[in-house]
Amino acid sequence: MKLEDWKSQIKKGTLEFCILLMIDEKPCYGYELMAKLDKWEILKTKESTIYPLLRRLLKEEFLTSSWQETSEGLPPRKYYSITQKGKDYLHMMLIEWDNLLSAISEIKGES
Amino acid sequence: MDKVMNHYLDQVDKYLKSMPTGERVDIVKEIKSEMLELEKLQGLSSEQIIERLGNPKELAKAYLGDYISKNTTFSWKKFCSIVGFYSLVGMGSLFILPIISVLSVGFIFIGIISPLSGVIKFIGFLFGFDLPFVMFQIGSFTAPPSLALLLSVLLGGLFFLAGKGLWKLTIKYIHIISQAKKKIF
Repeated sequence: MKLEDWKSQIKKGTLEFCILLMIDEKPCYGYELMAKLDKWEILKTKESTIYPLLRRLLKEEFLTSSWQETSEGLPPRKYYSITQKGKDYLHMMLIEWDNLLSAISEIKGES
Repeated sequence: MDKVMNHYLDQVDKYLKSMPTGERVDIVKEIKSEMLELEKLQGLSSEQIIERLGNPKELAKAYLGDYISKNTTFSWKKFCSIVGFYSLVGMGSLFILPIISVLSVGFIFIGIISPLSGVIKFIGFLFGFDLPFVMFQIGSFTAPPSLALLLSVLLGGLFFLAGKGLWKLTIKYIHIISQAKKKIF
């Protein structure tokens, strides 16, 4: 399916952006991020995508992580929060994203 | 946490063995945390949880894929392929390369010398000389000068072709090695 390929390419390119946006809002743990993304068909992700991506963002120092105990008798959760470096990166991404959106709307308007 | 889920985590841990222990423990702990979350909060059965997470090998590979490409200091996989590459090439260069290249040059040399000798012998014969230092001999069979010319040209041709073939093989072998080297590094 050609359209499915295209959708997965878009997801690949935007997942990092979406994750940083969500973590910038408030610290999140992996499953929480996945559950939120499940709301939108095009952003649905699997564990094998999100966890390695989170590890990479940690290594690149856009995120930090900490294990936190939970009250409901559940095991500790690994919470991710954004670093200053991550915020700077996200800021640049937001600018580029706006550039892309206005470019697309311009192209649509001219055709 | 039941047997099924523990077994799954053991599998993931096993496939991640090329990673440093600290990272591996952290990864498994995070997956375990999600399993319990799904079990306690979503009420999923162990089988449903495992189905959701997918093949443990695939999950581990997803981590490793990122790990190997991001880690520039040392990768076991790369180390193995480099050792493998040089062992094979080393052996190849020790045996295959000298044999085929020397044979090829030798055959081409014979291919040129043999018809030349045939011509010399034949010219000698035309002028009435029998040159004792040039003769066509296979075992006890010694060919007369005219036949010797024909045979030496034929045989020379064959040697020349064989030499050329081997030369091409030598070039190809070197080419394959440099291609393989490019792929690894």
